[in-house]
Amino acid sequence: MKGLRRAAPLSVVYAFMDAVRWRPHAESATPRRDRPIGLYVLEAGGCEGCFMEIESLAGSAFALEQAGFVCVSDPEDADWLLLTGAVTRVCAEMVDRVWRAMPPGRSLIAVGACAVDGGPFPAGYATLGGLQALTPVRRSIPGCPPSPQDILDALQELARL
Amino acid sequence: MTGMGRLIRGGERLALSHYRLEAAQWAEMLSAPGPTLPLVSCWVDERSASVLVLEGDRPLLASTPVEDRRYLAPSSRFPGAEWGERVGYDLYGVEAMEARGNGAPALDEGGWTSTWPLSGQPAPAAGGLRPLAGSHLLRPEQTGLSGPLEFSFEVHRGAIRTVEICAGGAHRGVVSRLLGKTPEEAMPLVSRMTAGGFVAHPLAFARAVAQARGLLPGPGIRDVWMILLEIERMSIHLLDMARTARGVDAQLLATHCDHAREAIARACSEQGVSRRLMDMVTCDGFCDGLEIVPLAQAVHATMQPRLAALEELQRVFAPRLKGFAVLDTRLAARFAVGGVTGRASGRGTDMRRREAGMRLEALRTTGSSQGDARARDGLRLSEIRDSLRLLERILGSIGLDDDEPAPDRTGEGIGVVEGARGDVWYWVRLKDGRIENLHVRDPGVSLIPVLESMLRGYPVSRVPAALGSIGLSPSGIAQ
Ligand code: SF4
Repeated sequence: MKGLRRAAPLSVVYAFMDAVRWRPHAESATPRRDRPIGLYVLEAGGCEGCFMEIESLAGSAFALEQAGFVCVSDPEDADWLLLTGAVTRVCAEMVDRVWRAMPPGRSLIAVGACAVDGGPFPAGYATLGGLQALTPVRRSIPGCPPSPQDILDALQELARL
Repeated sequence: MTGMGRLIRGGERLALSHYRLEAAQWAEMLSAPGPTLPLVSCWVDERSASVLVLEGDRPLLASTPVEDRRYLAPSSRFPGAEWGERVGYDLYGVEAMEARGNGAPALDEGGWTSTWPLSGQPAPAAGGLRPLAGSHLLRPEQTGLSGPLEFSFEVHRGAIRTVEICAGGAHRGVVSRLLGKTPEEAMPLVSRMTAGGFVAHPLAFARAVAQARGLLPGPGIRDVWMILLEIERMSIHLLDMARTARGVDAQLLATHCDHAREAIARACSEQGVSRRLMDMVTCDGFCDGLEIVPLAQAVHATMQPRLAALEELQRVFAPRLKGFAVLDTRLAARFAVGGVTGRASGRGTDMRRREAGMRLEALRTTGSSQGDARARDGLRLSEIRDSLRLLERILGSIGLDDDEPAPDRTGEGIGVVEGARGDVWYWVRLKDGRIENLHVRDPGVSLIPVLESMLRGYPVSRVPAALGSIGLSPSGIAQ
């Protein structure tokens, strides 16, 4: 009989246990729903700072899923569109395409100063500026950039409405 | 001094490293016998075309006047100059004669309010977005990058053959917003150039401005800048490692990278500074209230204990990255690819090594010539170890004097910073205390011409993983 073969060094097991130990917990609960709220994140022409903070929120250091949200990679699965960055004129078509692909009941959320009102990149030859001047949004999350916790708090608040 | 370097220095000296060449001298320089100096950047406006090259590790800037809206294309000698020529055409309508490539727009995809928006006589916009060539598209929202870059490919039997990049979605007209401002007024915007360089970009700008003003920041400021830069390096390396890991389903490694990056952000926040060190660098130093020693100690204490697990996990998952998205050493040299991607492909360039006051003994990472995603990832982790060592050394001798002389005040300056994603360069010319002209070169620009070779042969579905492993910043490239 063959002996058991170790799949990975023992320290990897410890690393796994560490990752489990660090697993974050949502501090305040979002009301339970049948399914998590699908978030589609789209950068439309900022410095990428807000996008990266949402990427952190969606990563392992935050409890996004426990809080009742899931990041989706297909707009057809999305309930809320989280837009970051000022909308460049070239990206307007992309924003429109993604928005149209989302199912009815969708919501638009501006994350960060750029997405809200253009922030440091107001309207110019290449930019349309923020969503404020373009279309109604369900929620604006200020900050440059807002922290992942700020974003999570705002999303949870919105989910409770 | 090389033949090319000698010819550049034969021009009229405008500033510390800047020479003006008449059209004939420019043509002679472009056909100079002997080796081609590595090109850092090429840029063009209505008045002049410029190339910034490296002679050894020293920058050398050559400019020639634009006449009748034309100039002899530097890409006839420097293949990497093509991107700058195309940007120059898009923004100013200035034509490069005898240019390489197909001359496709770099930034103007047709949605702007005017054509050649920065020229003296902008033309009406054609209207509508330019249709992309290529049989397959990767939409800006599908690249896995944090900004909008669009790719189109020719694909044969499922394998990529050619790649075209459209960066217009990420162009915000930053340079036009900076012209006419004082450096102090410009700094908040420079600090938001790209999240991959919240420290690196403003620091390169601050160095360029200091040189233009004939100032030399003291050793105390210099050391604070170095510490901020190393903290950013660790954080961005962890981000790029997490993305690379996710690209090959190495979730456990990605988890550890996420936690380490977030721990650094929290350590910064707990020390009263912004999570990603935004707005820390000012033109003449750093923001009020920054306590650099406790900040460096906190980040060091946070990061050091995490290294062993990261190294172990990286060893386990490294085989998945072996041979993936290889950048050939000759191409890396030809296009002067910097940063981790260049150093993983045989280039030795690390601009930190030429800095006054650098604790060179801390920089122990040696490069690689493998050129694949594994080599890049290995270097990132090794450089995090160097960053921690560098923090220790700087804390041990903070503010240690050296005797570098201040430059002459010429109103023009070049600043460089070895950022996490490579060498960030700023050239600035001041007039009456305001920015008369400016060029920003993000390290991602040197990756554009080599991407096709790195992606060739893969299915389009593998492109996001490949892009993740090279750390591209669309907002930095397109500004
Ligand atoms: S709001 Fe600030 S951090 Fe966010 S994308 Fe705009 S400039 Fe960057």
